[in-house]
Amino acid sequence: MNLSNYRTEFDKILNRDYITDVVRPMRKDAFENFFKTGFPTQKWENWQYTNLSTLVTEPFRLSEIPDAPKFSPEINPYEIENINTIVIYNGHYQKAISTVPDGVQLLSSLDYFEKNSNEVESLEDSPFDHLNTAFMDSGVSFVISQDTNVKIPVRILFISNGEESIMSNPRIYLDMGDSSSFTFIEHHVGDAASFFQNASFFASIGVNASLDHIRIQSNSTTTQNMGNLKIKQETDSQYAFTQFTDGSKMGRTNINVHLNGQGANCALNGLALSHGKQHLSNYIIVEHKVPHCTSSQLFKSVLREKSSGTFNGRTIVQKNAQKTDASQSNKNLLLSKDALMNSNPQLEIHADDVRCTHGSTTGELDADSLFYLRSRGLDLRMAKSLLVRGFATECFDTIQNEKVRSFIMKRFNNWLN
Amino acid sequence: MLKIENLHIDVEDKSILKGINLTIMPGEMHAIMGRNGSGKSTLANVIAGKDGYGIIAGDIFYNGESILDWSPEDRALSGIFMSFQYPVVIPGVNNTYFLKAALNAKRKHNGEKELDAAGFLKLIKEKLAEVDMDPKYLQRAVNQGFSGGEKKRNEILQMLTLEPTLSILDETDSGLDIDALKIVAAGVNKYRDANRSFLVITHYQRLLKYIEPDFVHVLIDGQIMKSGEKDLALELEEKGYRWLEA
Repeated sequence: MNLSNYRTEFDKILNRDYITDVVRPMRKDAFENFFKTGFPTQKWENWQYTNLSTLVTEPFRLSEIPDAPKFSPEINPYEIENINTIVIYNGHYQKAISTVPDGVQLLSSLDYFEKNSNEVESLEDSPFDHLNTAFMDSGVSFVISQDTNVKIPVRILFISNGEESIMSNPRIYLDMGDSSSFTFIEHHVGDAASFFQNASFFASIGVNASLDHIRIQSNSTTTQNMGNLKIKQETDSQYAFTQFTDGSKMGRTNINVHLNGQGANCALNGLALSHGKQHLSNYIIVEHKVPHCTSSQLFKSVLREKSSGTFNGRTIVQKNAQKTDASQSNKNLLLSKDALMNSNPQLEIHADDVRCTHGSTTGELDADSLFYLRSRGLDLRMAKSLLVRGFATECFDTIQNEKVRSFIMKRFNNWLN
Repeated sequence: MLKIENLHIDVEDKSILKGINLTIMPGEMHAIMGRNGSGKSTLANVIAGKDGYGIIAGDIFYNGESILDWSPEDRALSGIFMSFQYPVVIPGVNNTYFLKAALNAKRKHNGEKELDAAGFLKLIKEKLAEVDMDPKYLQRAVNQGFSGGEKKRNEILQMLTLEPTLSILDETDSGLDIDALKIVAAGVNKYRDANRSFLVITHYQRLLKYIEPDFVHVLIDGQIMKSGEKDLALELEEKGYRWLEA
């Protein structure tokens, strides 16, 4: 595997002036770790369906100052009312058009890292985690103090544009104090001809705190988008994750949730819509480490043309995690004979007093339902889109914010038409 | 209105209908009776345009035109309606949304203005009252969580809303208790007029006490073995089907 361009880019980053002595050794270690293994190949376990060849063949490079926009970019098409937005354009923070609400302390991830270096643990790192650590941009960190209810959601809008093969490695920390609540939106957009985004997101959710995390991945269908999510939950905390994906050529989200405190609950939902030759996948690990936690996974895909996808969900219930209540559900709709879905829900249960369910279905539109709708005068196109909508909409039930939900629904309707 | 000529239908290489001839004039109510497996539902499905039936011979004319090549939606828009024996449950699709979309598709086809939400609500409230149906069923997904009887009422509600000229009622009485049966029958009877025709498919004579047919046909093994007026239904109730079998 020829990774020499990554070595060249890494040498460049070490010379950047914001690299301090605290992070330099960590970056070096991470890069050497990455360089040793290279990108996962399709022979690796859990990577057999993810084709990463573009990452080796395209000479991706760091985003430089000329890659930043000369004027503030147009963000009207991504308008969602009553939220705050932080704009990152090709890896560059756009301060002039960004807003941050009260109650949120914004730090660069390097600042955060230097202040909290002992607390950031790495969990089962993949080469993409190492790559992110080696190349991380200054990033964004949110610190929400104890008992703070942040009423207005905050979005990070990642815009990837241009003709150049740029890579960006955003690093986001979300540190939520006890009994705080927050709605965080990641929104990936742009019309880049070739772009590689490898974002890592770390959230630490304190006792009785609640995080709504919405991820809208609508990159251009020539983009490579890797998302690495690491969530730690304390006692009685809530984590609701909802993902809507209709973008990128290769889009993969790796989610790792650690339920560390009793009574913690996580609900992971996702809808992936693919067409052409897109490949969209979700790899999920939820670890129940203590008793009385609940987790649910509901992931659906609708695939057209020659697109493909993977659902790989693992729920691990450790020996002392009694009274665990866990469910996994993966449902997929194939709208073409050439579409392909790999579904692999897995339960690993080491405790004996638990309630765990899992299920997976993959099929075409139901012929009887189609006939029923058409027999009432709806044409084939409308009948199909009604059935697809009926199939998918429950994925959005977890989104509390009305404006965000309607933004996603609009996007979904566009895809249907 | 409807003319079926020498219709032969195969399902998976098995002959199900073996030469059906049937003519329904405007305003007529025809009943088809027969045992399970006699081909009753096949006949209904073929008229409504369902896939999966091999048309071996014969033709179906609706208002003088052959409809065998028509899509199910074209048949529906031209005024053919089938109340399903087993209405399909469609999770995630709101019943109101579905009914409104269907009605507006029809209005558009007829060159009428589409109804907005308020206009539709006013209309549907009247129709709900006619089948004594709780408005809460409009808020659910299509047929989801409906009892057998509620599903059938929902079918009749759709008929009253879409105002077809030819209505095929496939085993509409099954799953209905006697009170619900009376209500559904009253809805159908109120809808009868000189320009609207019906084909009622049933197993038992029970429904025909409340919906009086003009003609009764007995379907046995894919053929109409006997036709008569409404008294034939009573005769069948008394004697069963055996005396008509070859």
